[in-house]
Amino acid sequence: MTGGDVVILGMTAAVLTPTRDHAVRVDSYAMTERTAKTAAPVAEEIDVAEETDAARRARFEREALQYLDQLYSAAMRMTRNPQDAEDLVQEAYTKAYSAFHQYKPGTNLKAWLYRILTNTYINIYRKKQRQPQQANTDTVEDWQMAQAAEHTSTGLRSAEAEALDHLPDSDVKNALQQIPEEFRLAVYFSDVEGFAYKEIAEILNIPIGTVMSRLHRGRKLLRSLLADYARERGFNRGEGK
Amino acid sequence: MSTENCKDCETSEESSARLERIYEYLDGALSREDIEEVQSHLQACPECASDYDLECLIRSSVRRSCVERAPETLKVTIIERISQIRVEAGHE
Repeated sequence: MTGGDVVILGMTAAVLTPTRDHAVRVDSYAMTERTAKTAAPVAEEIDVAEETDAARRARFEREALQYLDQLYSAAMRMTRNPQDAEDLVQEAYTKAYSAFHQYKPGTNLKAWLYRILTNTYINIYRKKQRQPQQANTDTVEDWQMAQAAEHTSTGLRSAEAEALDHLPDSDVKNALQQIPEEFRLAVYFSDVEGFAYKEIAEILNIPIGTVMSRLHRGRKLLRSLLADYARERGFNRGEGK
Repeated sequence: MSTENCKDCETSEESSARLERIYEYLDGALSREDIEEVQSHLQACPECASDYDLECLIRSSVRRSCVERAPETLKVTIIERISQIRVEAGHE
């Protein structure tokens, strides 16, 4: 297996994160500029205080609503079902519009919207669920972490990678869903949305060091879970399943 | 990250640290100097190169799998809701 042929970018993914992972080993310098590139281009000067309601609303619809599919995708990973995801996105956009005069034109609108989405989710849905998720996190994590550590040194990798490449989307989503939430969101924001550590820190309102440790642990867990799915699929292949 | 100590990468503790380095490399979080170091290590260490390939594969799988399209009606509903906010605010 070579570096080149495993980097498969779907068209939509490439559109979402145009600056990432084309880079591979050849031009990874470009990635250090990721933060700069995800920020919105400097907009023309807008006097937010003087703006009419109609103008503000038009600006909001033009600039903020372009991220609808992306926010919905993130909401799906948070709430796990389409109806709740819709409600969450609606609520987040409503809040964002109400606070839009506080958004500074030319700063990162996408990150600003994600922060509102995340806060809305935490305030409304997590309370509603009342799942003792947090309490179990450590226990789950310990054995999974041990397992994850083992996986990195197994010799099954190329076979796993082969099977992983053919995993149905549902398996990947399930694996992601099995990761404790605080790790899952960090991994999602980084790997899917291409946010820099600093942006993730702002979205989740946690220190950068915490972002990094959540990413490291979350990714190792994900890797271990995906390897399990891949192995399962690999073993079952050709058995009529 | 020296290129001579590739045997270290076979022990799980070292391998875990190397993997974190690969994550940071892919995240665009390393300095120019560190990037060069990682690149030359990846050239020399099949263990880490394979981890790198797998990580790229995982990320592209996750991206591919997580793309959803919001229902058509959602945009309409949002526009309706925010237009109500405008009216309410105007009456304050």
